[in-house]
Amino acid sequence: METDVLIIGGGPAGLAAAIETATRGLDVTIVDESSSLGGQLCQQTQLIRPLPSVYQPMRGFELAKVLTEQINDFTVGTLLNHRVIGLYADGSVGLSDEEKVFPVKAKKIVVATGAAEQAVAFPKWTLPGIITIGAAQTLVNRDFVMPGKEAVIVGSSDFALDVASQLLEVGVEVKGIVEKNPAAAAREKEKTDALIGRGIPFYFNSFIKEARGNGQVEEIDIEVNGEILTVSADVVCIDGGRSPILDSFYQLGCSFGYQKELGGWIPQYNRQFKTDRENVFLAGNAAGISQQGALLLTGMIAGISICEDLQTIRSGEAEEIRDALWEELKLSEYKDVWEGRTKHIEKFSSPVLKDQFIS
Amino acid sequence: MHIENHPILGKQLQEPVTFYFNDQPYKAYTQQSVAAALMANGVKKFGLSRKLVQSRGLFCSRGRCCSCYMTVNGEDHVRTCMTKVEEGMSVYPNLEDPEVRREKHGD
Ligand SMILES: Cc1cc2nc3c(=O)[nH]c(=O)nc-3n(C[C@H](O)[C@H](O)[C@H](O)COP(=O)(O)OP(=O)(O)OC[C@H]3O[C@@H](n4cnc5c(N)ncnc54)[C@H](O)[C@@H]3O)c2cc1C
Ligand code: FES
Repeated sequence: METDVLIIGGGPAGLAAAIETATRGLDVTIVDESSSLGGQLCQQTQLIRPLPSVYQPMRGFELAKVLTEQINDFTVGTLLNHRVIGLYADGSVGLSDEEKVFPVKAKKIVVATGAAEQAVAFPKWTLPGIITIGAAQTLVNRDFVMPGKEAVIVGSSDFALDVASQLLEVGVEVKGIVEKNPAAAAREKEKTDALIGRGIPFYFNSFIKEARGNGQVEEIDIEVNGEILTVSADVVCIDGGRSPILDSFYQLGCSFGYQKELGGWIPQYNRQFKTDRENVFLAGNAAGISQQGALLLTGMIAGISICEDLQTIRSGEAEEIRDALWEELKLSEYKDVWEGRTKHIEKFSSPVLKDQFIS
Repeated sequence: MHIENHPILGKQLQEPVTFYFNDQPYKAYTQQSVAAALMANGVKKFGLSRKLVQSRGLFCSRGRCCSCYMTVNGEDHVRTCMTKVEEGMSVYPNLEDPEVRREKHGD
């Protein structure tokens, strides 16, 4: 198979890149290992703000739909339930549908594989019923399944508190939110206040001492100010933060740099969202953890840069659009993330690691 | 428990299916993953870890952690969080290493 642009990952970032390239006449193929487009937006029922100026504020799953509809009118091939598993010697990308493997030859590649959730380990954290906060959201909003009756949430990011509210809405009792720091991690204070208003206990300076249960979690011990509080729970949701998914970058041979504000190790890239491998671009959480609006902008920048390279847009015009998108990116991400990104781009010319596996 | 009427997304569960876990029939809906369908029926333990023989179940629901491996329609080590449940599907817990060294695969 051949295509102008191969986009690995059909989440918001991949879709944004697809829209920019397909609407400028390029032949685009999106590959995604899941069974629908939209990536992690599909199970997000909360309102997403801020979004790039071309979009109205809307809920995550609605945004997934709006983005997907925009590519329908163009020549975009979608290979769902297909996973990128490696690279052929001639540079073709290897896809698998779990039965056979085949090559796709692309002029340009955008890696938009998103982020994976990280665990927070404590004794017996592998018991069934102990799941990531994103898994809880997926169960409730995509599979329409109650993950349990009584939940404890470990971590208090904006994401965790959104999911806490979504669990409450479907009738799960949230027995408490455990945070190791003295205050909630959520940047939007209203989220914490709303949950406190609903009587949900926050345990600050606290951590899980141990989970117990016969074949699945039944109760947990929370250490609060040196005292042990035992809480019955049949589901524990862990919010350990997220880190970029790098598999495809390793396979493509990209260089990496460490940028704490962007989620740790990420590929080196420049203002075009281009890596140090010829023809390999990136976008979204795979380029550093940020908010959805910012992730869309990164996809748009990568898309514009590809159009420039493939000459479906004049260089001067591309530069103008890119500058405007960067301006908007600055306004839509948190200051520390933005500073991390600027530093990361400056480091592009001096990569610290090459051909190494980072775990 | 299935969420029949979602507060934001409404009534989404339209097409019921019957699948089998350890040969017992259970009810699920077409858009659910095998893992979610089991959890809706109160099954959280999907298998045992091979070295320490500890219970394992769904963890990431995103195909990344491999904690949800089960045997589905005779195939070993299927990620049940990434596999949609289907009518008549037969599911067994994951209790040991997969059989990859069968004769037809050589050794
Ligand atoms: C379960 C979960 C829930 C989340 N919920 C929230 C939330 O409520 N609020 C919030 O702010 N953020 C949330 N996030 C963060 C989320 O990553 C961002 O909101 C956003 O969706 C990221 O966009 P993206 O396009 O970079 O990646 P994604 O939306 O993750 O899209 C990446 C896509 O790439 C595909 N993919 C990855 N590797 C391969 C491969 N090798 N081959 C083929 N396809 C591949 C994946 O299937 C996926 O569809 C969540 C993350 C997860 C994992
Ligand atoms: S639960 Fe992690 S791979 Fe299925």
